[in-house]
Amino acid sequence: MDRIARINMGAAGGPTVTFEEVGEYAGLGGRALTSLLIAREVHPLCHPLGNENKLVIAPGMLSGTTGSMTGRLSVGCKSPLTGTIKESNAGGQAAQVMARIGYAAVILEGKPEGDDLYKIIINKDGIKIEVDNSLKLMDNYPLVEKLRQEYGDKVAYITIGSGGERQLLAASIACTDPELRPTRHCGRGGVGAVMGSKRVKAIILDDAGMKMRAPKDPEKFRDANRKFVEGLRKHPVTGEGLPAYGTNVLTNVLNEAGGYPTYNFKQGQFAGAAKLSGEAQAELEIKRGGSATHGCHRGCVIQCSGIYNDKDGHYITKQPEYETVWSHGGNCGIDDLDTVARLDFMDDNIGLDTIEMGVTIGVAMDAGLIPFGDREGAIRLLDEVGKGTPLGRVLGCGAEITGKVFGVEKVPVVKGQAMPAYDPRPIQGIGVTYATTTQGADHTAGYAIATNILKVGGDVDPLKTEGQVELSRNLQIATAAIDSTGMCLFIAFAIMDQPETFQALLDMLGAFYGITMTGDDVVALGKKVLSAERDFNARAGFTKAHDRLPRFFYTEPIAPHNQVFSVPDEEMDQLFNW
Amino acid sequence: MNATRQTRLTLTLPSSLIGDFFPILQQGFFVTAHVGCTLQRLLCRQWDISPDYVATRITTIFLNAKATDNVETAVVRDGATIALSGAMPGLVGATMRRGGHLAAMRGAMTYHETPADAVDRIGTVRVKLFNILLPELGPAFLGRGILVSCDDLASFFRERDESFWKSCDGGILDNMQVSAGRLRAEPFCREGTVRLTVNFR
Repeated sequence: MDRIARINMGAAGGPTVTFEEVGEYAGLGGRALTSLLIAREVHPLCHPLGNENKLVIAPGMLSGTTGSMTGRLSVGCKSPLTGTIKESNAGGQAAQVMARIGYAAVILEGKPEGDDLYKIIINKDGIKIEVDNSLKLMDNYPLVEKLRQEYGDKVAYITIGSGGERQLLAASIACTDPELRPTRHCGRGGVGAVMGSKRVKAIILDDAGMKMRAPKDPEKFRDANRKFVEGLRKHPVTGEGLPAYGTNVLTNVLNEAGGYPTYNFKQGQFAGAAKLSGEAQAELEIKRGGSATHGCHRGCVIQCSGIYNDKDGHYITKQPEYETVWSHGGNCGIDDLDTVARLDFMDDNIGLDTIEMGVTIGVAMDAGLIPFGDREGAIRLLDEVGKGTPLGRVLGCGAEITGKVFGVEKVPVVKGQAMPAYDPRPIQGIGVTYATTTQGADHTAGYAIATNILKVGGDVDPLKTEGQVELSRNLQIATAAIDSTGMCLFIAFAIMDQPETFQALLDMLGAFYGITMTGDDVVALGKKVLSAERDFNARAGFTKAHDRLPRFFYTEPIAPHNQVFSVPDEEMDQLFNW
Repeated sequence: MNATRQTRLTLTLPSSLIGDFFPILQQGFFVTAHVGCTLQRLLCRQWDISPDYVATRITTIFLNAKATDNVETAVVRDGATIALSGAMPGLVGATMRRGGHLAAMRGAMTYHETPADAVDRIGTVRVKLFNILLPELGPAFLGRGILVSCDDLASFFRERDESFWKSCDGGILDNMQVSAGRLRAEPFCREGTVRLTVNFR
């Protein structure tokens, strides 16, 4: 992983490839690499779908090694949805394969003239770029099936569906899972539209003839990885809850807590939540011959995904995640898992962010296009997006645009990006993160990382309700660092609760790169990434006025706790002061 | 809960069917309990859950929809709703944990005990079981008997598939043998509550 490949899609005479040493980006991966590079090289005022924007695809620091949970792929660019810098990441096989081929990053630059569509083949012999107009407007599942006939099953695919090709602002980039299904998506921020603007339909990654990346100290690395895996397996979240029920195990708890936004963020509880729960989902999956336990990439020990079949035992989609079940389910007043599964499949197939699309349909319901709870109506709306009708193009550009087009006053977005499945009124701390993150409303931007162990920013008294800003700051710093390692965020719980597991992670990084890593180094990396992102956004015209929730969160209480968001603006404005 | 009329139904089923009862256990069922005591006392003394299990497995507790940190001070009053869960993923999952270092993020969702009267009496509480606690605590609650509404139980039987009915030999309804066919075919009560006891073999 010592090279960077730059593919100029807009070069005169057709796309060109140049290679360079990783240079000053050595030892960086994932979000650190994408964000530092975008912040340095992309003009912050460029049009996100124009030739000045770049799409940086980067595996994590430990991707392509034998290390467990190292399979996240980061994609960075200026977001067409938010106008901010964007890092979106996904599981699947792509990160491992790209890293083994030897690339720290592949950068798509420029924009071709004309209407040709391209595919890029990356293997040990180099990079080939070919026109393939037979792929035009294909959606992800049939697209991957077609590519498999030519490139086989021992590769990984990165693709966009018709959503990306149409440059819809909710378009995602799909990565194939171990079964070569396009189920793992860099979903947020419209990164698929940027790939579509470069006219790149598919990237085929073939690591035949390449070996696992070798650590500087193999024995220490193996030992640290073993301890890391032990830690994940013994922790109740990563060893029991997630493997048994997936992320959707949160539905019942969020609903009970009154933090489950329903009917486009009008209520904090949903009467049909138990029908949508991870527990119900797992039962159904197992009963129908699917699976409630499945890894999105090889080397995953948590296995939080699954296979969702229909009542006749035929595959519908991978196990929909909590945020998907919420966005298409409870948020729209729909209490039927089969409907959610169909919508999840359509999102993956068309290539759309499930959070953005569920919230968009909720806004469309609020506008009166269809009633809340209308299962077939929701499917019909998403079908419009797949067909690229005028209505579908509006919906495919996300909640904010849909709200504007249909005159909806209450649209739950920050910086143009739809809010995920946690209402910021009862859970004020997550509201701070939604408002201030560099990425637009994003629940993973301030994840439950080991701030207690890192002691980043000092301790916050858990018995006091103050300190939301400080907590959010600490979590955002730690999350930026973990996103840079390429580790799955779900390792968070084991490293938060078990200091020895956190140390094992540091030892893995240290043994691989031949350095000694400390918690302070992790914090410094997180701050460096956030500072670069924040600086880019400032140059793009973002000010503290953009670090706010939509007004209705400050004025309309939500049941059952009947709270409004009440963290003072002045406190939020201090978040990035370190 | 309408206590005017109470039907009693006892079923004996293979343990493989415990999953069929998860929807009822998640949505919430009622139990008769001695209220006015602490949550710890209710869980450990009345429901016979070991203190160690409460400390290590029941890591998330909601009392009346508020996250509860201290089971030794939280008092259960008549009509309370108690939701019990294992450790949860996600930032919010970690936030809801008992005594977690992210508890400050909850704000007003944290349960605070008040000095208001807590009458020591026999009452009814609603219980919800989530995730890993469903198979671990569910059989004991069902074995002791839970209160569900006639409507909910009728819905439950209506939604069972063939595999359930193949394994169900009927039960005892108000001290009388009742066939699986009758349970399946018609509602055996129209109003009030049913005390449902399920023994797993």
